[in-house]
Amino acid sequence: MLSEPKKVRVKFSKTGSLKFISHLDLNRTVKSAFIRSKLPIWYTQGFNPHPKTVFSLPLSVGTASLCEFMDFKMTKEMSGDAICERLNAAFPAGLHALAAYAPQTKFSEIGWADYEIRIEAVPMDAAEERVREALSGPIPVEKTTKAGTRTVDIAPYGKLLAVKSASGEIVLSVRLSCEEKTFVNPKYILEFLTQKLGFPSERDDYTVCRTEVYFLDGETPFL
Amino acid sequence: MKIPERILRSVEKPARYTGGEWGQILKDKNAVEVRFAFCFPDTYEIGMSNLGVRILYDVLNARDDTWCERVYAPWVDMEECMRREGIPLWSHESGDPVSCFDIVGFSLQYELCYTNVLNMLELAGIPLLAADRDDTAPLVVGGGPCTYNAEPIADYFDLFMIGEGEEVIEELVSLYKEHKKKGFHKEKFLHEAANLEGIYVPSLYAVSYQDDGTIAAVHPKYDDIPVKIKKRILTDLDRAPYPKTLVMPFIQTVQDKITLEVYRGCIRGCRFCQAGMVWRPVREKSPEVLDRAAKVLADATGYDEMTLSSLSISDYSCIRELTDELLTWTDERKISLSLPSLRADSFTKELMERISTVRTGSLTFAPEAGTQRLRDVINKNVREEDILRACRTAFEGGKSQVKLYFMQGLPTETNEDLDGIAALAEHVIDEYYRTPDRPRKTPGVTISAACFIPKPFTPFQWEPQCRMETLLEKQSYLERKITNRKIKYNYHDARVSRIEAVFARGDRKLSAALAEAHRRGMRFDSWDEHFHYDRWLEVFDAVGIDPAFYANREFGEEEILPWDNIDIGVTKAFLLRERHRAYAAQPTKNCRESCSGCGADKLGGERACCPSLKK
Repeated sequence: MLSEPKKVRVKFSKTGSLKFISHLDLNRTVKSAFIRSKLPIWYTQGFNPHPKTVFSLPLSVGTASLCEFMDFKMTKEMSGDAICERLNAAFPAGLHALAAYAPQTKFSEIGWADYEIRIEAVPMDAAEERVREALSGPIPVEKTTKAGTRTVDIAPYGKLLAVKSASGEIVLSVRLSCEEKTFVNPKYILEFLTQKLGFPSERDDYTVCRTEVYFLDGETPFL
Repeated sequence: MKIPERILRSVEKPARYTGGEWGQILKDKNAVEVRFAFCFPDTYEIGMSNLGVRILYDVLNARDDTWCERVYAPWVDMEECMRREGIPLWSHESGDPVSCFDIVGFSLQYELCYTNVLNMLELAGIPLLAADRDDTAPLVVGGGPCTYNAEPIADYFDLFMIGEGEEVIEELVSLYKEHKKKGFHKEKFLHEAANLEGIYVPSLYAVSYQDDGTIAAVHPKYDDIPVKIKKRILTDLDRAPYPKTLVMPFIQTVQDKITLEVYRGCIRGCRFCQAGMVWRPVREKSPEVLDRAAKVLADATGYDEMTLSSLSISDYSCIRELTDELLTWTDERKISLSLPSLRADSFTKELMERISTVRTGSLTFAPEAGTQRLRDVINKNVREEDILRACRTAFEGGKSQVKLYFMQGLPTETNEDLDGIAALAEHVIDEYYRTPDRPRKTPGVTISAACFIPKPFTPFQWEPQCRMETLLEKQSYLERKITNRKIKYNYHDARVSRIEAVFARGDRKLSAALAEAHRRGMRFDSWDEHFHYDRWLEVFDAVGIDPAFYANREFGEEEILPWDNIDIGVTKAFLLRERHRAYAAQPTKNCRESCSGCGADKLGGERACCPSLKK
């Protein structure tokens, strides 16, 4: 038993069915998985003891991710591999621990995230160029906040990394801001494309996956 | 999962539809012989909470030859998408269309889910009427409390399982497998199934009616099938199958915890209560068996809450041993224990201190009626002193809020009885101020009043429900009587209760009303926002049915009742005796004090309290 509980950070992916559960429900799912895993999780010492779990970034319902982070405390020292193994045995399919370690950084140091957007659309001529062109200028979008709806240009807070069109699919890679004040939800990119190019249309299916998270510099992968 | 993601993104709570939860059972569909779609005709959150479904999912999947999967009623937003895009109803585990299953089973928990059953069959692309389903269609079966009188929905089902399902569902699957191997012939199969104890095949029993609409006779189609269908029970609950794990929902459900079933039946015999009669005889589980099951489930699920379940938990003869045993490890593992319902006369300080939900939150008692006279009529053997004493104990333990359940429109009820409800609530408030070590808060009493619904297999099964106007008058009368702002009065929608009464005591003629309601797009009747009383009246009118015939008519004691072909063990003679005692305001002793000869003991049972079953 450690005299002080030790902080642990777990990097995990959230895919499959799991991408349709909300942040709150993820918390519940993790809580029961902790119990099943029998890991020596530290509980808060109050009237209503609970494991104190902090998640890195909010993730919209319906968006998958390969790079989520959660911090919690443990009362015993264990290797990262052992922690991952125990968690993966207790996680439902779609939740997978990738690495566990003692955190050296804070979640507030996260600045950017990459997303892969796959749109199942009818093949069209020069789709790649048209997407590139559409996203090269200002990207005005309607943002709704408590203060009301206003039009914001999100171009300074996002950039297109790549676009590919192949076998009935258009795949975009974008890097978007994750800072609290300038956070860009990938749905804005999709809405803008629908408005500008007519796709994805209402009948086109698409998937969104967060593939990497960066520090404020936008280059160094977050740990 | 075959649902396009854009649809999942567009509906409320998409995790209702994805499946993939921890604990779900996946099998190779080519390696099993029987595929069973277990349908719950309400939302995921409600269906996932049902203990019967949890048990039978486990029983069926324990068989190597069977794969049981879950199906729920899609909420209206998802239904709209499904209809628009032609997506058939699917199962959670494999995502396969329900129409490709061998057996489609519905859990029938309340009458107002019937329109959902029809809607789900339609969404699955399965013909609604049993008569329209040939040898290649899935077999549609039902079970659960409503099957004690499933006549209103009988035309849509191939068969019902009456009583406790653990054993009979296995026998059914085995018989189905046998028939499937030799080439499934539905009529032959049903004939044979009708001879399994507890199986009711409605199409093999023709019903004829008198001119006044009551039943003339029931004619079994074959000589070798039982005239009366005997309900099934498990005699030894210690040996009953109990799940070793649960499917862990991704979203919060109604009973999002471990449910530990402590015993079946009830020693009390309240005269309005169907559950108290149909679950007889009382059979208990041993504390050791329960403790073991609880540990297994706590390990396997990761739940940190557990509820002890039964019709009246404080009547469990080993409640002390059980809580002692559980508390040796639950506290340390931060698992909180909760109790669903408490009887005022057996609520003690000790019990309150042991059970955490009793420590926090408000307390609920169910006096059911406002005067001792009416409580004697309904055989709710609780006195006002018991209720006040229980409340005082609660106040001393730091409570300031109490909830009291009542029923309005009970047989013989007068305004005096309604005055009694208001008076009892006042007395609880007075008791609060008379308790020296009460908390320093303003007290509150919430009166929650349901409307009396006569239910089959109760001593009140012959009673008429009050007319709508009378029920509404009673509600406004009591509302006027309650002037103290510390007392809050809630009551059930009388219109919902009336429709429930129609179907509770209904016969097969009502299947036309269900078809018409379905044709008009009605479903989710148990949800306020989708319940339309006026539309129901239009439906009855359209098919020429008078709802009052079922809800507001006093059924004759000599009359053949729609559910008379079901044998629950408890005899009609006992129910009649109890009815007459009710009119004399004579209470009946509980099963532990003395046997009142209800007849259920002939079904047998271990750890029962019937004198005839004691060794």
